[in-house]
Amino acid sequence: MIDLDLGAPLDRHRATVLKDWIDWNGHMNVGYYVVAFDKATDVLCEQFGCSWEYTRDKIGMTFVLEAHVTYERELREGDPLRVTTQILDHDAKRVHYMHMMYHAIDGYLAATNELMLINIDYVTRRSAPWPEWAMPRIEKMAAAHARLPRPKQAGRLIGIKKN
Amino acid sequence: MSATLPYEMPELVATAPLDIHHSTVRPEWVDWNGHMNVAFYVLAFDQASGAFMRNIGLGRDYVDSRSGMTFVLETHVTYDREMREGAPMRFATQLLARDAKRVHLYHEMFHADERYLAATNEVIVMNIDYASRRAAPWPRQAAERLERVWEAHKHLPRPAKAGRIMGLGSK
Repeated sequence: MIDLDLGAPLDRHRATVLKDWIDWNGHMNVGYYVVAFDKATDVLCEQFGCSWEYTRDKIGMTFVLEAHVTYERELREGDPLRVTTQILDHDAKRVHYMHMMYHAIDGYLAATNELMLINIDYVTRRSAPWPEWAMPRIEKMAAAHARLPRPKQAGRLIGIKKN
Repeated sequence: MSATLPYEMPELVATAPLDIHHSTVRPEWVDWNGHMNVAFYVLAFDQASGAFMRNIGLGRDYVDSRSGMTFVLETHVTYDREMREGAPMRFATQLLARDAKRVHLYHEMFHADERYLAATNEVIVMNIDYASRRAAPWPRQAAERLERVWEAHKHLPRPAKAGRIMGLGSK
């Protein structure tokens, strides 16, 4: 298991906008923002000790229950991405967190993604408590992230009256 | 924009809800958990939003004729059931609100054979001026079509899963 990164926010994921992610509007398609964000979720789960090997070894899985994305700025093919992650809340089975996607060179916020993730038992494919090695890691990260201000995009209600 | 759009309009469908988009879970949409990955639900829903836009006259021709574009501002997905490779999808789409530049859509994704609800998606889509890439009012023909859909949808009950705020207290 990798050494726990208690930087706040978690700031480990980097990517580049691929050609296949561009749609007929000439920018990264809405679905591929989530492809990029989901890779940042893998990086988060790696911190918990619940990433690829967790599923490969048939121990467990993590499923997303709910996702909310705000699209702030367009991204073009080849743009470099930096994604940071902040844990907002957690319980025995779930983690509520937020990714922020930035243009890695220009620095602007391109999108945000709020998510609810749940731990899953490999055999039953039903929710189960986090494994004993993951829980203290989640708690330490949550404590480190609790000092961060809550992102203004968290807890948004969708509508067209409010903007 | 008041000019007539330079292409032929499709026949308008104004059923409530709309049932105009069907698709299939592709192999490349499946992840290491053996089910459709979260991102590809969003892609599949985006194609359902595309079907809504095409219905009001703003499909690919709208972009190719350099008349305009539509951008998604915000999206909210609930993942209700897993979907496997090859699963057939049916989408039901309800117009929840509209204004001069934006629509608020609600999609439900069903397994088309087994009929279970697989996911829901609320989305805000905005009309964009092609040249400036900034928000602009709907073209007149699209606005008229949007009103006809609104007339058919405005009395539908508001979906229970619309308007969710995420949190550990939410069910």
